[in-house]
Amino acid sequence: MMEGACIKRTRKSINIFNTTEEMAPAYKLTYFPVEALAEPIRFLFSYGGIEFEDFRFDRENWPQMKPNMPFGQVPVLEHNGKVAHQSIAMARYAAKKAKLVGNDEWEDLEIDAIVDTVNDLRQKIALYHYEADAAVKESRKEPLFKETLPYYLQRLDAVVKANNGHLALGKLTWADLYFVAILKYLNSMCGGNDILADYPNLTALKNTVLELPAIKTWVEKRPNTDM
Amino acid sequence: MAPQYKLTYFDVGGTAEVSRYLFSYGGIEFEDVRIKRENWAQLKDKTPFGALPTLEHNGKVVGQSVAIARYLAKKVKLVGDDDWENLEIDAIVDTINDIRLKVFPIFMEKDEAKKKALIETLKNDTFGFYLPRLEAEVQKNKGYLVLGRLTWADFYFTTLSPMFDLITGEDVLASYPNLKGVKEKVNALPVIKKWIEIRPKSHA
Repeated sequence: MMEGACIKRTRKSINIFNTTEEMAPAYKLTYFPVEALAEPIRFLFSYGGIEFEDFRFDRENWPQMKPNMPFGQVPVLEHNGKVAHQSIAMARYAAKKAKLVGNDEWEDLEIDAIVDTVNDLRQKIALYHYEADAAVKESRKEPLFKETLPYYLQRLDAVVKANNGHLALGKLTWADLYFVAILKYLNSMCGGNDILADYPNLTALKNTVLELPAIKTWVEKRPNTDM
Repeated sequence: MAPQYKLTYFDVGGTAEVSRYLFSYGGIEFEDVRIKRENWAQLKDKTPFGALPTLEHNGKVVGQSVAIARYLAKKVKLVGDDDWENLEIDAIVDTINDIRLKVFPIFMEKDEAKKKALIETLKNDTFGFYLPRLEAEVQKNKGYLVLGRLTWADFYFTTLSPMFDLITGEDVLASYPNLKGVKEKVNALPVIKKWIEIRPKSHA
């Protein structure tokens, strides 16, 4: 076979000990150029040492891209010619690959329940932040900051206190990475303040996750965005 | 012996019905606790995060209807064969849940004119966007929502779809024969048919 006939894109690097082949990563994650809902998946792939293409498109291209997405939304995850959607479903998948799941079905239920609760909080914050009508938005502000945020954050803080510094099972699970990964997004939707300021256990959890070597490395190398 | 599981919710189908279906499908005994709305205020702060349904088992309590349903689906083997298949099921469930999140608030709207406008938007933008796409998934998947076979996603859709008709006063699935087929197929399963017969008649 002639060398020029080979069309597969690979690079071979030969060293003394073994031969490695570099190919495109097995996973391609597509999202807006922000952290927000894709960041948990990026954290989990990074923690698991799983290579992924972190594709961030230009916002002005979104209208053309949207009709090609499974349900008109991102993030999406491509793998083996298939396309998955729904950020939490994809985070759960990445968590399984990164081995940050429970040891049985009940343990996974406990993790899922906390992740869904954090997501409930995100949705309530988003209802305020994305409200287009200024008067309606203003009317939502006080209930959010005086009732909803304290209601959830007090309880989540208590969960972390009762779980050895974690959100579930008394140990590191993907619930911890999920929560910390979307924090910047939550804070930006709440006007840029640190919503964890009054919650010492949640603050400690944030630091725990950000100090994990793989997460530290990811945070240092990722594009710097506001949310 | 007392049932190993206690499911607590209001006296309606809502987001707990999928779990009642899954318990029934798997022949798993459960205590089907239904609380009255007037008692909710006192009970609310006894739940993990002020919401129902909750599931109690071996002295532990958890909330979150979708998480509970996923747990039960594993128990009754209505799940995928690997992580990617479960991702596909989870994604469709979350998509149906996205529809539910657009429907639910409209029930709370007190202003009749506003409510009417919200229902029109729901029909055009939400149902008009999601239902044709879900219909296409069922066509692709031999009459099921995912993986070409029965999974908990079909139970999830079946038990949430009554609220589409409830909010619009119409037969929303009339123009979606494949989606209607999923609902009919699930409700015709002998164990589910039995559950529908024996469940409380007060049930909406």
